[in-house]
Amino acid sequence: MSSDAVKKRKPKVVRNEAGTPETKRSRAEGDQEVRVYNEEVELEDRDPQQDYMLYKDTCADLAKLMAEIQELKSSGAKVGSVEIEERHRQCSVHFITLKKLNRLAHMRLKKGRDQTHEAKQRVDVLHLQLQNLLYEVMHLQKEISKCLEFKSQHEEIELVSEEEFFQEAPAEISRPHVTRDDNHQLTLARLDWELEQRKRLAEQYKMSLARKEKIQKAIEQKREYLSSLQPGLQNIMQASLPVQEYLSMPFEQMQKQAEVARHLPPPLYVLLVQAAAYGQACDKTLSVNISGDVDEAKALSRRPEDSQEDESDSDAEEEQQNTKRRRATVGVQLEDKRKAMLRRHPLSLCVDLKCKDGSVLHLFFYYLMNLNILTVKTKVSTATDLSGAVSAGELLNSESLLNCLYASDHGKETPNPANRYQFDKVGITTFADYVSDLGHPYVWVQKLGGLQFSSDGAQSELRGSALSASHMEKTMKLLRGRLQARLALHKQFSSLEHSIIPVSSECQHLFPAKVVSGLTRWTMMSYQEFTELGFVQHVLKAGLVCETDLFFMAVVERGTARLLAAVVLNPRYPEVMPLFSLSLHWKGERSGRTEDNLRAMESEVNVFRAELQGPRPGLQLLTNQIQRLCVCLDVYLETESQVCDGSEGPREFPREKMCLRTARGPSRLKPFKYNHPQGFFSHR
Amino acid sequence: MSVFSQSFSPCGRFLAAGNNYGEIALFSLSAALSPDASEGSQKPILNFTAHDGPVFSLLSTDTHLLSAGNGEISAWSWAELIKKVSQLFSKCMCIFLGLGKMYISFHCCDNSLIVGGGDNNIHIMDMETGIFKSVLKGHTDYIHCLCFKEREEEILSGGEDGAVRIWDSRTNRPVHCIEVFKYEECARPQFGKWISCLATDSDWMLCGGGPSLSLWHLRSMSPTSVFPLPGCQREAVFHQDLIMSVGEGPYVSHCLHGGTVKAQIPCTPSSLNTLALNLKNTEHRVMTVGGSSHQIDVFTNFSYRAFSLSF
Repeated sequence: MSSDAVKKRKPKVVRNEAGTPETKRSRAEGDQEVRVYNEEVELEDRDPQQDYMLYKDTCADLAKLMAEIQELKSSGAKVGSVEIEERHRQCSVHFITLKKLNRLAHMRLKKGRDQTHEAKQRVDVLHLQLQNLLYEVMHLQKEISKCLEFKSQHEEIELVSEEEFFQEAPAEISRPHVTRDDNHQLTLARLDWELEQRKRLAEQYKMSLARKEKIQKAIEQKREYLSSLQPGLQNIMQASLPVQEYLSMPFEQMQKQAEVARHLPPPLYVLLVQAAAYGQACDKTLSVNISGDVDEAKALSRRPEDSQEDESDSDAEEEQQNTKRRRATVGVQLEDKRKAMLRRHPLSLCVDLKCKDGSVLHLFFYYLMNLNILTVKTKVSTATDLSGAVSAGELLNSESLLNCLYASDHGKETPNPANRYQFDKVGITTFADYVSDLGHPYVWVQKLGGLQFSSDGAQSELRGSALSASHMEKTMKLLRGRLQARLALHKQFSSLEHSIIPVSSECQHLFPAKVVSGLTRWTMMSYQEFTELGFVQHVLKAGLVCETDLFFMAVVERGTARLLAAVVLNPRYPEVMPLFSLSLHWKGERSGRTEDNLRAMESEVNVFRAELQGPRPGLQLLTNQIQRLCVCLDVYLETESQVCDGSEGPREFPREKMCLRTARGPSRLKPFKYNHPQGFFSHR
Repeated sequence: MSVFSQSFSPCGRFLAAGNNYGEIALFSLSAALSPDASEGSQKPILNFTAHDGPVFSLLSTDTHLLSAGNGEISAWSWAELIKKVSQLFSKCMCIFLGLGKMYISFHCCDNSLIVGGGDNNIHIMDMETGIFKSVLKGHTDYIHCLCFKEREEEILSGGEDGAVRIWDSRTNRPVHCIEVFKYEECARPQFGKWISCLATDSDWMLCGGGPSLSLWHLRSMSPTSVFPLPGCQREAVFHQDLIMSVGEGPYVSHCLHGGTVKAQIPCTPSSLNTLALNLKNTEHRVMTVGGSSHQIDVFTNFSYRAFSLSF
């Protein structure tokens, strides 16, 4: 048994748990009789499983001995008995065994731990090495990638292409024998070349800059010289003014006008140029002037850049102000918008047409910027003061003076169809409300300004100046004719109101020497009054009358007979003949509709324009018509009483006119035609 | 415009009208009366100026249209006119009739043309040769209207002097003279004494003008009935049992032989100068009237106005 082995060694044992067997052996040599007891060596020999069995056995023995002791003690044995002592000795041996086993177990454990620890150490070291290496690898990889990504500045420089480089660069730089093979060298060479070139160009640039400075200085000098000339020229111009006037070549004036004309809006400019040209070439009595505020016009033309800034500033100011006071009402805003839309250009043209008798027709042309139309206002100034003829009030009224210069050109509505949409936006229903303020937008005015709107029939291809030129002569002639006609009518009216029919000497041959019927009244009527008359309905139905015409009532009387004549005067008189409608009040009422003879009288007065218009330009037309009316009434009355065979007493109108026959044909027409110079009346 | 005269073509399908401007217009009745007539078919198919002065008389023979105006008589061929060619066939200047623009009326019978004019005489012209055969003198003022009694071959003429003269056409002698204004029942002194319309139907004669329209029995030479029409009548015709007359006033008067006015049909013109009946053609049996208006009223049923042609 092991306990025996242990006992044997008991007397000389040097317990040595730690330390290597080698040192122990060296000590063992020193001490011959000392046996080195190395439990570790022993440990390796022993089998743990066996030790464990031993342990169990020992525990069992111990338990058994204890039990025996117990038995013995309980059975009353003495304390120091031999059996118990025996058993005590055995127990203590067992205890010693157990203690050894315990020791061995501890030692095994320690040994195991040490081994593990060692292994771990080794593994750690290796692990660290691995980590180091990996780290280094990563580092190196990063460095490599950095190196690979490196872009040198040289790549940002644009170099000439290789072919060019080889062509242009001198040999010492390009070194083709080297560079053709070596890319690095090639790039270096190219960079060198680039540097050379840049140096060269920089020098050139400096030289050019220097030259430019010199030339700039030269220019400055010359400019100063020129500006010093300007005052001298002005002096000369001033001095030449009297000469200009003397020679009547107003260059100065024309220059000034041209200067101002630059600021005119295009339609007015076209009108100015064409009118001035026409005036110079054909019509010496026509003159054109520009009037208005030039500064405002300049301000307007600078509109795009400056006013935008102004607007933004003023907007900011306005907003500030608005927050302080109440916002203006919608109506006022709309009103402002309307005013803005109907704004006139500050410059306007004034065209003066002078007539032979000294009266002048002033035409003022305005341009409405937003609506792109021209309007005209008129004024007539006469050499003599026109005494008031009551019925002539409308004749020279500036509102209607130029009405219907061309047929159906009333000037009440804007001729530009685009304006319709503009008006809708600001709630203007019709332009006619503003006509008295802004002037009349006649179609001929637009044509003179070169403005053509598609609603005008779209026949002519002309635009701008050509359009204006094609209409200028005709329009000016019409304007002058209109003025003269109106003035003539004015004079005629004033004498008609005094019951005198002014017949000029050239037209005297149309009428017999003695005319008994006389004009007793000449008054003006309104369109309303005209339509209410009974004997004019046929004219209204035939559509020969419109609201822009002038209406008059003439009353011719002889004895008890009264002839009412309603006259329709077209604004285009004397191009359009006045139209007479008759109604006779004599023994009942007769009109042209009911009686053939009155119808014949109407035709006598209305139809024969060639006879009645007199010498050109035919301004005698109306008065001749009235005179003929009187003559016809004479004939009518005198021949009428012829028919009655004296059964009603003495005739009211004795027969004075010489007639061939007093009644002809089934309708028994009277002889209304006067034959000159024989002086008798016959039928047509 | 006043329409003074009308005449229908020999075939009855066309109407020629003359106005105071000397123009003659040709209307196509067949177009105007067809069911699909439009406004255009009421306008003339041909319109030409025939004379200087008014065309007071138009007359249709079998082949020609005769028109009178301003001291001349012109003849137009109907065949040409229908083809819309207004070519003058022949013109006869009745210078002796004229003192210029005088009023001529004519009538035709056999081959002679009876012309009455401003020189107070009636001339008879041979239409073949154009030679004036004879003159009937007797009136003291110009002649308004002429009429022919076929049975007795007598010419009746009415004039401004108020006398109706009856002439024998074979002997060219006056047979009777009736001064209408001397008869109290007819006379209307306020209007005058001229006779402007004459019509005859065998034994009966209608005459009117200044004096009232009256029906005369020719054998007894006395007025049997006087028609109470207010205005002066300018043309009157016998039609079946009725007497139709037009004149001052915008209506056509239908009267009965007894002297009553049966109806007055209103028309467009304010007074009427001429009335014409298209009896030759049964298809287009219409009555047309014209007067002091450019419209010629057409009556398909004589009792009311159907439509108007526009000169």
